[in-house]
Amino acid sequence: MEFSKEPNFELLTAEDFSPEKYVKKLSQNYVGGSELQSLRRKIQGLSEETSSNLKKNVYENYIQFIETAKEISHLESEMYQLSHLLSEQKALLNCLSATSILEDVQPVNIDRDNKVNEKDLEEENKQKIAAILEKVEGCQELLKVPGRIFLYEGDLLEIEPTENTALKIVHVYLFTDSFMITTRNSNSRGLMKYIYESIYDLSSLAVVNVRDLGNVKHAFKLLIFPDTRVFQCSSNSNKKEWLDKFDQAKKTRLAQEQQKRESISEKSPTRVSFESPSYNPFDEVEEETSALHPEWFVEIPEELDVCVAQRHFEEALSLLQKAKEYLNQASSASGDKRDTVFTDIQRKVEQRQNNLTEVLMKELEVNPDKSLQGGLRAARRAVRLLNQLGRETQSCTLFLKLCSSMLRTQCKRVKREGSTTTYIKHLSSVVFTNMCHMSDEFLRAFPDSPACASAYVVWASNELLQFTTHFIKQVFMPQTSLSTVTECIVLVRHQCERLYVYGLDLCYQLDGALRSSLMKALKDARDKLIDSIKLRVLDDKWIPINLHSKSALSRCVQEYSQMGLTNVGSYVSGDTWLQLTASTLSFTKMFLNLLNDCMKLKTTELMYTIDETLYNVFEAQVRHNENALRSELNQDQRNFLTKNAEFLLVSLMQVVQKKYEEKVGYECPTLAKLQKEYVALQKGVSPASRSTKAKYASEFI
Amino acid sequence: MAKRPAVQPALHKVIMVGSGGVGKSALTLQFMYDEFVEDYEPTKADSYRKKILLDGEDVQIDILDTAGQEDYAAIRDSYFRSGEGFLCIFSITEDESFLSTAEFREQILRVKNDENIPILLVGNKCDLEDRRKVSFQEASDRAKQWGVPYVETSAKTREHVDKVFYDLMREIRARKMEENKTSNGKGKDKSKKKKRICRIL
Repeated sequence: MEFSKEPNFELLTAEDFSPEKYVKKLSQNYVGGSELQSLRRKIQGLSEETSSNLKKNVYENYIQFIETAKEISHLESEMYQLSHLLSEQKALLNCLSATSILEDVQPVNIDRDNKVNEKDLEEENKQKIAAILEKVEGCQELLKVPGRIFLYEGDLLEIEPTENTALKIVHVYLFTDSFMITTRNSNSRGLMKYIYESIYDLSSLAVVNVRDLGNVKHAFKLLIFPDTRVFQCSSNSNKKEWLDKFDQAKKTRLAQEQQKRESISEKSPTRVSFESPSYNPFDEVEEETSALHPEWFVEIPEELDVCVAQRHFEEALSLLQKAKEYLNQASSASGDKRDTVFTDIQRKVEQRQNNLTEVLMKELEVNPDKSLQGGLRAARRAVRLLNQLGRETQSCTLFLKLCSSMLRTQCKRVKREGSTTTYIKHLSSVVFTNMCHMSDEFLRAFPDSPACASAYVVWASNELLQFTTHFIKQVFMPQTSLSTVTECIVLVRHQCERLYVYGLDLCYQLDGALRSSLMKALKDARDKLIDSIKLRVLDDKWIPINLHSKSALSRCVQEYSQMGLTNVGSYVSGDTWLQLTASTLSFTKMFLNLLNDCMKLKTTELMYTIDETLYNVFEAQVRHNENALRSELNQDQRNFLTKNAEFLLVSLMQVVQKKYEEKVGYECPTLAKLQKEYVALQKGVSPASRSTKAKYASEFI
Repeated sequence: MAKRPAVQPALHKVIMVGSGGVGKSALTLQFMYDEFVEDYEPTKADSYRKKILLDGEDVQIDILDTAGQEDYAAIRDSYFRSGEGFLCIFSITEDESFLSTAEFREQILRVKNDENIPILLVGNKCDLEDRRKVSFQEASDRAKQWGVPYVETSAKTREHVDKVFYDLMREIRARKMEENKTSNGKGKDKSKKKKRICRIL
């Protein structure tokens, strides 16, 4: 039987299906309540399924509709691009036809002026709105709508609309999109002169010019459903002003909307023909596209401006990143399909990014007016943000420039006072301490960037070069003694080693920069010493020294043994006599000092000069001995002379070689040669091979 | 209304609607000041008030002369909301202005949400018989269809000018009295509420 069948779609959708009959049949057949109930449940299930299917279908239809709309918008934008291209070409042709150069220049200038004006106006508006915020209590939220432009304000007398009696004085503000009413604040004498009362959207607010209202003159009416508010102006001209301003607000708004519409789609002739005024599919499409983007995205250029102006750089950066992410997502999602709002904002965002970069770079720029009080710490923020903006190279360059200028100012503060050594000590400590700090900061700011690291190395070496030039000027002067020079150089080397911690070894460069000056200094010192030896030997009478007292003698012996010459004691004769000449003794002292200095200065490259210096100085003394030996002398004096020569060539030489070896690792080759050459002197015989020695000596000069 | 009947006579709010250039302002000015203005200058929105004697009773008429070329539909809605009666005006020399009266009426009905809101269909410029485009029959047929009176006027000759305003005010007054009677019943709450608010204020 038909009705005993399970209820299904076929049965229910059949053409001759009548629900009444069906139910009758069912109720006739099924007596049991439970059976009927289960049947009912089944039918309910069917109905639910149907409704869900319906929903799905509606949804699919809707999706299709949206896709179609998108397609239309795409076509629309293509049309727009085409028309844009055409108009561009037309403009180009016009430009070409206008041959005069002057005519071309003028409009450009005007255009620029306009832009400047616009910016000024914008700025003015911002200030004005800020002023309103200060004056009116309770309107903070309402003024935060971006793009709202202040137009007019003034006092008005509110009139009771039916009875024409005065109500109260209000202070009102007109913006491009709204009208705000405030009342006088009677309580406060402070800044908040007015209290916010209400704000109306201009789009739904009708302004009516009251031409005739009994004895009330200069009034206008606002129809704000369900209210009607009447305001009286102070004069007819004032009223006219108000009405004009309202009109202006309305017109700007219309123009803005028009612009929006036009920016989406410039009207092409084909479109006008099929477009009906009541239904414009493109307008809807346009709304959809602008609705495609969230509000924050549309407002992002303004937000960025505000952030930069308020120096909330971090916020600006995060906004930028957010916007970029969104831009990327949106562009990958929509492919090459982009609406004008999108591209416009994209362009604006890029512009804002450049702006932000510029501001940050300005922050870092070295400026004579700017105080460097904050030091590098103050630059950290800007550097970090610039790095995040992907401008590492620029920020690195600026950072290093900043470092240089700071270093320079710091150095200028070091005054040349006292001895060269103190000055150099002070200066080098300032320079290298600063460089250490800067390295610290640098590593913090640019942790993993090889390009920046190499820039830093170059910078550091430049700074060092500057320093060494200054150093050479200050230290290597004819009157400065070698020991002072040595002291200074040791100081600087020590300071320079502090940079090792940062993986920066500039010592080699330092040595290199100082080498030529040092060589010259060594040669000067050598010449001076040789001169002083020559002077001393003139008075040499070849007699032992009389120290006149036992204590003086023991002091002298002790002094020399401290220098390493332990065998001075063996030359003591009698109570106060020392079997050495005064010149030998002073030479010993002098030479050991020279050796000390040389050993402190030693670098591999300097070894040659040092060896030569030591040889020349030593030889000058020894030659004096030799000359004395050649001259006519008695036997006693000969013995004494030989003793002196032995002291120099054996005892002193031993100590010198020992010290030399300690520092260098091997004995001084030139001095060893010298010892060999003059070995005959010890025996009281003058060396035979004079020619070889002269040749040898000449080699060193 | 009962509170201070002596202080303020009843106020009837009339709104002039119609396309641009049909003579809304001319009619208003003729009614207000007995003068005819030849020069045409588009109106934005003007309001007038006048004390008159309506069937022996002192009343006030508030006329809102709207802009025929209002750009904003939302603003037009605001105008219409404030009205109690409408003069729907067209020029008998212009077909289009007659066609658009239907649109205006629809908008009025939609905004007021009231099928019985007092409306008069007014064919202006009837002195220009030689340039007539809309026949009397055509217009009165439409008025009949709407259930409203049709009157032909001339702002220039002042023909029927007072009549249209007075007729409309009578209708408004009748509506108000009717509403007052049934003020405890259901009534048309929207317009009534509005009226009461006005009175109490």
